[in-house]
Amino acid sequence: MPVNLQSRVIDLRRNLLALGALVEQRVGAVIEVIRDGDIDLARKVRSGDAEIDQMQIDLETECMRLLALGSPVASDLRLILTAMRVSNELERIADMCKGISKRVIRLVESGNYRYPPLLVQMAEAANVMLRDVLVAFSNEDMDLCREIRRADSYIDDLNREVVAWTREWIAQDVEKTGAAIELLAISQRIERLADIVTAIAEDTVFLVEGRLIRHGVE
Amino acid sequence: MQSDASTTPPSSPAHKPGHSFATAQGNSDQGKSDLGGPMPSKMGEKISATEVAITVRGFSSWYGSFHALKNLDLDIDARHVTALIGPSGCGKSTFLRWMNRMNDTIPGARAEGSIQLDGMDLLAKSVDVVDLRRHVGMVFQKPNPFPKSIFDNVAFGPRLHKTYSRAELDELVEQSLRQASIWNEVKDRLHSSALGLSGGQQQRLCIARAIAVGPEVLLMDEPCSALDPKSTLAIEELIESLADRFTIVIVTHNMHQAARVSDKTAFFFEGKLIESGATESIFTTPKNKQTEDYVTGRFG
Repeated sequence: MPVNLQSRVIDLRRNLLALGALVEQRVGAVIEVIRDGDIDLARKVRSGDAEIDQMQIDLETECMRLLALGSPVASDLRLILTAMRVSNELERIADMCKGISKRVIRLVESGNYRYPPLLVQMAEAANVMLRDVLVAFSNEDMDLCREIRRADSYIDDLNREVVAWTREWIAQDVEKTGAAIELLAISQRIERLADIVTAIAEDTVFLVEGRLIRHGVE
Repeated sequence: MQSDASTTPPSSPAHKPGHSFATAQGNSDQGKSDLGGPMPSKMGEKISATEVAITVRGFSSWYGSFHALKNLDLDIDARHVTALIGPSGCGKSTFLRWMNRMNDTIPGARAEGSIQLDGMDLLAKSVDVVDLRRHVGMVFQKPNPFPKSIFDNVAFGPRLHKTYSRAELDELVEQSLRQASIWNEVKDRLHSSALGLSGGQQQRLCIARAIAVGPEVLLMDEPCSALDPKSTLAIEELIESLADRFTIVIVTHNMHQAARVSDKTAFFFEGKLIESGATESIFTTPKNKQTEDYVTGRFG
């Protein structure tokens, strides 16, 4: 085997989990941003996105290098393919955090920031899913992957309740429609974030078992 | 071999009726053979019906007291490429050599179980190995052309088995060289020495020599290990085209070559067949941990 594939695959896995840990931290920060309307923290989340983008690019570049030079097969090949996908998915989760922060800043600055407690609950649940999927990836825990896929529907339920709450808000005060739309955008991003976590769980099944279970296909 | 008449000259010995592996029956039994039917003109049909060319059951072999191969069961598909992989000393070359009885002359080498080519037991005492090798050809690691002309190298095997007219032999040699993708490079110097060819050309000449006698099976023992990348590519492309007509079994240490050229892969370790299956599965999702560790280069 050319290029020390084995040690570089180990590094790749470690770097991917490091990116995961950083993204998890962002989601944790976003929970505080939502709960407290903390716009200083929101600004930090936004400015920190560049670091995550760079890590993603570095990971993907390394994957390409290993594919080209290491001729990986079997579990090495699956790890590299999975790392390409998962690094991209983690980067998109960080984008969601950035988008949520941007909207909270706008809402707070316009003095229109209101939200249902469910919204925080939703963000917390999504964060638990993200933490779990990183554990599942790291331990190759297929049972946990299956649980994560089920948890996604819980988030969908919460999202529907947030939508109902927002509709009520608009009905009570039509002038707040603009703010309500921003709030819906936040809720939708959390829901999307959980979908991405589910995709990572599916990628983890591919990593371990070599089966593609995406798009609801078992 | 499914469309024999069109792919090989009618004079090719493989298409002569009345062939048998067994010396006792010679060439006079009018199409009957140990394979239980007309042979070998019906070979193609029989193989396409079963799709398995070589059936290995409970096969073990020894060199003296050393147990080299342990209870192998394997089906080798007709007109496909099967790669045998595994670390040095795992028994893959020994297995290949048993398939055309090259271990017969090694003192203390013996085998149990069966290797059947279309129903015929290759290990049977009655098998005439010279005849067997007309059906099961071998290409070696290092190109080994005879110190003769290019033409005589290819004509050597056919001449052993039958008397040909000049025209028949010319046609057979040309066909064989064409099938081995070397005709265009040598057609103007057929009567110069084969030793003047490059290593890659010599290896293709050896393949032409092997197919000139019309075998069903081609065994290849590391056929590219002595060649540069360009010649290796030429041989790999040749293997792919030959798989339309021949059952090919290739031993290779180059895992990527196995992945590139074979339809099925069998992984050997310490004399045992650990895993066999579609090459794609072996290289993406092997079932066995040892296979996984070997194909990813973690050992071996």
